[in-house]
This record gives sequence, C-alpha cells and structure tokens, in this order.
Amino acid sequence: MSGEEEENAAELKIGDGNSFKCLIVGMSIEFLRFDQKSKAKCLMNCEVALILEHKYEQLQQTSDDPMNQVSQVFEKSLQYVKRFSRYKNPDAVRQVREILSRYQLAEFELCVLGNLCPETVEEAIAMVPSIKSKGRAHDDEAIEKMLNDLSLIKKFE
Amino acid sequence: MFFHIVLERNMQLHPRHFGRSLRENIVSKLMKDVEGTCSGRHGFVVAITGIENIGKGLIRDGTGFVTFPVKYQCVVFRPFKGEILEAVVTMVNKLIPDDMEFQSGDMPNYTTSDGSVKIQKDSEVRLKIIGTRVDATEIFCIGTIKDDFLGVINDPAAA
Repeated sequence: MSGEEEENAAELKIGDGNSFKCLIVGMSIEFLRFDQKSKAKCLMNCEVALILEHKYEQLQQTSDDPMNQVSQVFEKSLQYVKRFSRYKNPDAVRQVREILSRYQLAEFELCVLGNLCPETVEEAIAMVPSIKSKGRAHDDEAIEKMLNDLSLIKKFE
Repeated sequence: MFFHIVLERNMQLHPRHFGRSLRENIVSKLMKDVEGTCSGRHGFVVAITGIENIGKGLIRDGTGFVTFPVKYQCVVFRPFKGEILEAVVTMVNKLIPDDMEFQSGDMPNYTTSDGSVKIQKDSEVRLKIIGTRVDATEIFCIGTIKDDFLGVINDPAAA
C-alpha cells in the first residue's frame, strides 16, 4: 500500500470528531494516528533531559567509559535537550507540568508550550493555534495568566 | 517531539545465556539491539527506561534458541508535520530564502539585506516542520522559518 493510500485510509477511520481535533491542533493526521495507536505520552525537552541524565549517571557507575556505551542517537539527544531545556531543576520541571495541566490542554499543547515558553499571548497562539479555537475556554486573559505562571517558575528556579 | 511509549519485541536468545542472570541478559541484549535505531513508525529510540514484562519463552524448532516476547518502555523522538521546534544549525548551504543573502567564505551564512539577522553554523533557530520523509533507518524533515515568531533565537556571533 502506498503512503498516500495509507493516509486516506487513516482519515476515514478517524472519523469526524477526530479529524477536526487534528486540524485545530495544527498537526498532521499522521500524528493523531501515532497518538491513538501507541498511547504515547508526550515529553517536554526538560523532562527528557532529566531521564537521559539519570540514565547516563547510572551507566557511569557501572562502566569506566559511559560515552562508549551509549548510541549516537542518545548522545545527540542528550546534547539537544540540554541545550533547549528552559528549566533545569527537577522541581521546576515538575511544577511546569503541574501548572500547565490545570489549563485543560492536550498533552501535545502542554509540551509545545513548555518547550518554547512563549512570552506573549500572540506568540503562544502562533505556536499552538488550537488553544484559541472554538469551544475552548481559553480567552486572552487565561492564556496570559498561564504564561505568567510559567515565567514565575523560571524566575524562582 | 519526544514521547514515552511502550513497545514490544521478540528477543531471541542462545541457551548459553540462560540461568540465573537470564533476565539481565535479555535486558542488556534488548538495549544493544534497540537503542539508537530508527523506525518510520515510532521514530528514533533514544533510551529504554524500563521493562514492563518478559513473557514465556518459546523454543524454536531445530535450533535450541528461545524467543521471549518483551514489553519495554522507552523514550523516542519522532518529528511530525506541522510541529514547531527549536534546532541548531549544523550546515549552511545555498538554498537561498527570498529576503536573505548568502555570504560564502570560511563561515558561510545568511544575512538579511540590512544586516540585522545572520544565520550561520551553531545558530539556534525556531522552525516549523512542513514535510517529513521516512526512510528505513532515518527521518528527514524540511522546515520553514517563514512565519510569525519563527527564525533565529540566538546568534553565536553576537554572544
């Protein structure tokens, strides 16, 4: 089956409600299928940094040359998430997820916001268009409050 | 984006690995086999974070090898069309955007006509993925910086 056919098949299977959800999240159908099939949990870069660092420390204890033990993908990912983590401290990372999850966001939206830390309401909507779509309870004020909460965590980290 | 997911794999083990450390042997073989690989469906497997369960082994006819179904949790990275993420520039080539000019030399870069923005190696950019191509062992993406709030986020030359 070619890629295109597969995509169309996906669209049919997903049905109305979901393809709508897909459109407003601004992600492809591909993502939605991945999301439903594998029951994947999205991770923010800062969370991945904690997980990978923990694993790397464990390796350090059991071997002399841990960098030799890990794959190139691991090494590159660790470098990447360290560079692009907005929060370093484990408590702050936990707080970010806790605070964002009060705003009825989809997993994916939560992680994009946590990763990119938009500073203005306009920027947040450009990054995650779905937070401002019909039927969602987010007005500008609520979004502003959410961004404020986020920057507070950063300040007190 | 990174995801935490549960995957399944059948592990084939030689009888010499059986015995008291069977479980450890399965897990270390799993890590060696799976970490660092890439599949179009799940993306890059970055790290295994836990074993959910190891099922009953099945002896294979004629060889003595035993197959164990293993369920494991792992961190994967999978890019999607439409996703916005931040990235590091590793190479600058000559695919010129309309409003920028390519400057060759030992540090090739893009500069806007007024010189205010420069993109070169090691710059950090925020981009939106507009296309992905999935290969058996790799995923290629095309991204754009031509939209609101996209583009350079830090400039190594200015820092």
